[in-house]
Amino acid sequence: MASFSSNEWKAVCAKFTNAQQLSDVESRTDPENDPFRSKYKARELLTEIYCSLKNFEAGDGEEHDDGETSEPEPTEEPLDGEKPVDLDAFSRGWSSDSRAGLRAARLAAVEYYLGVNHVDTEELSAGQEHLMNCMKHLGKCRVSSENVSLFIHVRNQLGILWAGRDETEKSQGFLETAESIYQRYMKENGSPPTDMTEYFCSEENQLTHQERTKKFELAYTHTLYYLAQVYQYFGENERAANYCYSTLQRQLQLNQFNPMEWALNAATLSQYYITKGQYMEGRHCLAAATVISGLAGEVPSEAAAQESEAERDRREQLKQKRSEIARCWIKYCLNLLRDAKKLLEDNIGELDTDRQDELRRARRREEEEEGRKQALLFGSEDTFDSIASVEEKVSYLFPLDFTEARAIFLVGQNYVNQAKEHFQMDGFVTDHIEILQDHSALFRALAFFEEDVERRCKMHKRRVDMLEPICNDLNSQYYLLIRRQLMFELAETYNEMMDLKLTLANRQEDSQSLDNHTIKKFNHLCSASAKYFQMFLDSLCSPEGKIPEHLEEDVLRPALVARFRVARLHSKLISSSPPVQLDNLNKALENYKYVVQYCEAHPEAAAAAETELELSKEMVGLLPLKINRLKARMATNN
Amino acid sequence: SLHCASSDCDSIKVFIRVRPLTHGTGLTTDGDQNLCLTVTSPNTIRLLSKPEPRTFTYDHVADMDTSQDSVFNIVAKNIVESCMNGYNGTIFAYGQTGSGKTFTMLGPSELDNFTDEMRGVIPRSFEYLFFLINREVEKSAKSKNFLCKCSFIEIYNEQIYDLLDTASASLFLRENIKKGVFVEGAVEKFVSSAAEAYQVLSTGWRNRRVASTSMNRESSRSHAVFTMTLESKETKNEVVNIRTSQLNLVDLAGSERQKDTHTEGSRLKEASSINRSLMCLGQVIMALVDVSNGKNRHICYRDSKLTFLLRDSLGGNAKTYIIANVHPGSKCFGETLSTLHFAQRAKLIKNKAVINEDTQGNVR
Repeated sequence: MASFSSNEWKAVCAKFTNAQQLSDVESRTDPENDPFRSKYKARELLTEIYCSLKNFEAGDGEEHDDGETSEPEPTEEPLDGEKPVDLDAFSRGWSSDSRAGLRAARLAAVEYYLGVNHVDTEELSAGQEHLMNCMKHLGKCRVSSENVSLFIHVRNQLGILWAGRDETEKSQGFLETAESIYQRYMKENGSPPTDMTEYFCSEENQLTHQERTKKFELAYTHTLYYLAQVYQYFGENERAANYCYSTLQRQLQLNQFNPMEWALNAATLSQYYITKGQYMEGRHCLAAATVISGLAGEVPSEAAAQESEAERDRREQLKQKRSEIARCWIKYCLNLLRDAKKLLEDNIGELDTDRQDELRRARRREEEEEGRKQALLFGSEDTFDSIASVEEKVSYLFPLDFTEARAIFLVGQNYVNQAKEHFQMDGFVTDHIEILQDHSALFRALAFFEEDVERRCKMHKRRVDMLEPICNDLNSQYYLLIRRQLMFELAETYNEMMDLKLTLANRQEDSQSLDNHTIKKFNHLCSASAKYFQMFLDSLCSPEGKIPEHLEEDVLRPALVARFRVARLHSKLISSSPPVQLDNLNKALENYKYVVQYCEAHPEAAAAAETELELSKEMVGLLPLKINRLKARMATNN
Repeated sequence: SLHCASSDCDSIKVFIRVRPLTHGTGLTTDGDQNLCLTVTSPNTIRLLSKPEPRTFTYDHVADMDTSQDSVFNIVAKNIVESCMNGYNGTIFAYGQTGSGKTFTMLGPSELDNFTDEMRGVIPRSFEYLFFLINREVEKSAKSKNFLCKCSFIEIYNEQIYDLLDTASASLFLRENIKKGVFVEGAVEKFVSSAAEAYQVLSTGWRNRRVASTSMNRESSRSHAVFTMTLESKETKNEVVNIRTSQLNLVDLAGSERQKDTHTEGSRLKEASSINRSLMCLGQVIMALVDVSNGKNRHICYRDSKLTFLLRDSLGGNAKTYIIANVHPGSKCFGETLSTLHFAQRAKLIKNKAVINEDTQGNVR
């Protein structure tokens, strides 16, 4: 009988171990100009193993001479990864403890490794062929603890392969089949399955149950990870997010993760939930990220960093990644405040107290019902409590008044300071400014909840103080876009302050008799706002200072809004001198006209600034009358 | 419409170049006589895909017999001129290994002869730049002078190496409020002629990481960025006016190696190896978050080093040309298609909305 002698089998096992070693370990140190040297060597060994298996064991399954294989050759099945066929795999085919079954599984495993090897060395079609051969061999077998791992692995690989060729549906088919095979196996059997490497090793080197479980679960985690990507590709975002969540949760439970990387992924996932308005989930992800990132250990001291390059890199990495998580927290606080503001504001952007009462009542009702549950839960036994205690530090409910808003603001501000420590201006200009922009946005959202107008004004002043010097220092050759953002924000902030001053003045007395100091202050805010809007508009001009005939889509609305605002600001400036008044009104008219004329020449622009356009048209009609009246008055006075 | 009559307002332009068929070069495409594409006009190319052929449109499409001189005139001349006027300019070369990137950018290998008709875009750009510099200096009667320095770095596996100082460890990208993004500690060599600049370039070029696989004869595995910083100083009525600009010449890794940039289609991020965690999960989630419906979010995964370094070139106020090289052989169909797709996407690269949504408030 052409069966293996124990020596021959030993040689096959040794070859296999060698191939694994070459492929997984040595290949990492292959020279750059010959990057696949070890992989090619491994491929040769695998091919030899395949031949040995074919030659030596031939006859075991196919020729019925030892009476052991009573089972008939299973019929060939289509192999395109469709589900119905594969679920049959639990009831049909050779049982894996039959000789034929074992032989098929071994051949399948070698084909699998050959497939992966070819894919790794950028020979995709050959890789595909081997992987499909693996599927063919497996197709003859029934799913069992001896081969289920291979059933999953080969589908993961085919999933990757087809996705790489833009045939994502095919990929999805393989991966979803892998998923259902796993689930059915765990339901019906669940014992720790044999790993493919064990097909080629001696009895004494078999894996422990624990090791088997770990490898099997990791393969399935990969299936979920790939499915997350496939669903994302098809735009099924919610489903994809759930798969990301499951991947993270499994990593944590199976203790297969790098803390910093895991934490960053969880923090990123929090941003998904935040954009969906799911703050409870967002907070949970962030709290988990904070706790798990703590497992990565202390940041090496500066002294240690100077001693060794490894410590320097570690210090840089830890500091940076923890700051990134802090920045995700900032966004959490910011969006929570903003969404609350959106809920609470009336049609002129002020706090709607009826709405406030209504929301308070709704919240109380919910608290009484106590129907709220954690929507998702991360954590192992050790980390669970720590995660909960981080969560408690900030609410996930929309703040309904200043006190509640301030509590969230302060948490956000705290993270701002933390993030700034690493992302300093010198070295991280863009990041640093982004953090400041968030800080400013936090103040802006908080100001909405502040009832005292004077204090509200001070909050906006804080925004100006943090952004103005930077806006003026930034080199516009390299930071044009950021500068534009800053200019616009400063213009808007001054504008807001000007409005607040006006409100305040109106409250005190009738606006005709404003004192000089207030007028001066008011005019200063007005001009400052106009100045920054104008700077923004100038930044759109050509090097020769020409206004573009056509505004690009991304600056269209800002440019029209800026024009409109400049017009409005000029008409608001207070002056007792008629020539100055005339000048201001002319400037206002000129800018209103621009908005109207631009939209006439570019009809598609009208939609971008509907309200502004309507008001501008009105002003273009009214202002000339006012100007003429003023001119007439000036003429009679002379 | 009025807009883009001169098409000058586009910040990124794309040039496609089709190389001639290969013979005896040792490439797998040798002897492949079947074409998978035809150039149908100076800005369209038709790919013979099944079931229907597809036509792609670019700023310019050059067929097999386009001269090096005309490539330079279309792609680089204008960019070099704007650099003289204080603007940053960038030229990218993209394409499959063996599609003629090096030939387009440098010319035939081992070329030292500057007068060779076959010399590529880079030597021609150097010549033209120094021609312009000398002319300016003369015209200004020496009131204007120029300072040129070059650096040459390589980005390999998201690490930055200095090609002019191979002994140095990997370098960091930093930012400065005045000078923007820069590579901290990169060697800068002063050059005063085209020949000197070319000398610096070829020294660094030899230090690049290349590799042979059974599929490709030689594949560059790194992105290389050659940066020439031009500083002009003009003294007029005792006022000194200094202007700086940068010319970036970028040779991207062979497109078949671009697994980890955003150029891939639907390719899945793989688990890097057993026992390692799933490195790219965050990037998957990132894609979910990207549609941000006006919400403000933070993405922990930073831009790739390359896009960060050249952020200004990708949709800022710099002038940028992408040269995408393709091989016409039918064996290259897949790669050619993906290069053409990339080149189309490149046209769409623009910086995100200039002004945050929430700061363009409505009228009250």
